[in-house]
Amino acid sequence: MIIALVIIGFIFLTGIFSYNSLIGKKNQVTNAFSAIDVMLKKRFDLIPNLVEVVKQYTTYEQGTLTKIVELRAKAGAANISNAEKADLDAQLSSNVRGLMVNVENYPDLKANTNFINLQTTWTESEEQIAAARRTYNASVTDYNNSIMMFPGNLFAGMLNFHPIPVLETAAEERKNISAKELFNH
Amino acid sequence: MLFDIANNVALQQVLATMEVTRKRIAATQTRGYIFIAAGILICFLGFVLGFPVPGVIIGLIPLIYGSVLLFKINDSLTAYRNEYKTNVIGAALKFLDESLSISPYQGIAASEFMYTQLFTQEPDRYKTEDLVTGCADRTRFYFAEVHAEYKTVTQTKNGTRTEWHDIFRGIIFAADFNKNFNGITIVRPKGFANALGAWFSKNVFSFGGNDVVKLENSDFDKTFITYGSDQVEARYILTPALMERILNLNHQTKYDISLSFIESRMYIAFPLNRNYFEAPVFKSLINAEALNNDITTIKFMYDIVKELDLNTRIWGKA
Repeated sequence: MIIALVIIGFIFLTGIFSYNSLIGKKNQVTNAFSAIDVMLKKRFDLIPNLVEVVKQYTTYEQGTLTKIVELRAKAGAANISNAEKADLDAQLSSNVRGLMVNVENYPDLKANTNFINLQTTWTESEEQIAAARRTYNASVTDYNNSIMMFPGNLFAGMLNFHPIPVLETAAEERKNISAKELFNH
Repeated sequence: MLFDIANNVALQQVLATMEVTRKRIAATQTRGYIFIAAGILICFLGFVLGFPVPGVIIGLIPLIYGSVLLFKINDSLTAYRNEYKTNVIGAALKFLDESLSISPYQGIAASEFMYTQLFTQEPDRYKTEDLVTGCADRTRFYFAEVHAEYKTVTQTKNGTRTEWHDIFRGIIFAADFNKNFNGITIVRPKGFANALGAWFSKNVFSFGGNDVVKLENSDFDKTFITYGSDQVEARYILTPALMERILNLNHQTKYDISLSFIESRMYIAFPLNRNYFEAPVFKSLINAEALNNDITTIKFMYDIVKELDLNTRIWGKA
């Protein structure tokens, strides 16, 4: 009788412990995602300045600029899903990267202090977003491990915890940069 | 070899002059030690042959004479060592980079040693010397020799016994980091104690504000344990590229290094088991083996900036 009670008590305690630890890890994932969000917001806020500066010097990049402004507006809109936001960010990144390459054609713009500042801030934000994404992936891996490993796996299904996919680099970013493509812009 | 000591006329002249001093010091020291040894031998023979009192009295004479010799030469020895640091090491530094200079009596203060958070134990005895400062391109750096120890007092039959243990002995290197950050990130070698502490802080509760940062480079995670006050910032500092570079740097040293990143500065601790920048007494200065070793060390420190790519300043920090 006592042994049975001890066993039930033990299972119960393990359950509580696992549950709390899973909740903690899930919150950590949410928290890590919001860090990415903050960094993205910071980067989106750079766009108007960037567009403004570039506009003064170039006449041929209007197409790209309009695209960038549109993307930014979409990303800023309320109630878009995380996946959509990540996708918009990827498109935005590749557009801005293309723009940065084309800047080579405008020596005046390249030498502009404002532009140089924006460029550094942009690289910094890229690095910060990369760091935030890595943090998110580390939290997701930690969370996934604990719901797939013993004893978490016993309770995870019952308590409705499901694995979360890690963020992957957009296929476009993973591609090796081809010089030919860059110059054919 | 890094630069041609044998064909550097100015340096060879300095070395030749100092070699004379060195020979004089070495000869006097040898004489001193011989007299002391003779004194001890006479005392010992006195005891063995059954004449303890005359043995001690006769033995004391060479013993005292030898000690006086050593004591008298001590000032010259200090002067010789300093001259070596200022003139020889100093000249070698200038050859490597104009901005480099050495201050034999300065170092990294005990307060800064604690501030780096590389080590948790507070030192009871702290020695530091040979501060080298300089600039490699756009990055300012400095390093110094540090020997930090703590003591343990144990009760024995005959009272108390004090023992000294090393916290750290080696070189602490500090450089301006190329990114801005506010928090603290610490990278320590994965010893048993550190691994246990990390497991506790991850799974049970954490001490202080620094949590374990799990990084995706598995080699890096096997060699080091990383703690950080901010998970994102730790990864902002430790990019995949920097982790590779740190691993490379670590492969070049005999003992695992520790790093910390605090207020836009990076500290690295290199454990070493010999005293650097010390003039040889019983070895010739002319063949310059010691000097070559020292220059290799300095060059190694100087190259860290390049190795870790600290001159790339594209992240909004001038």
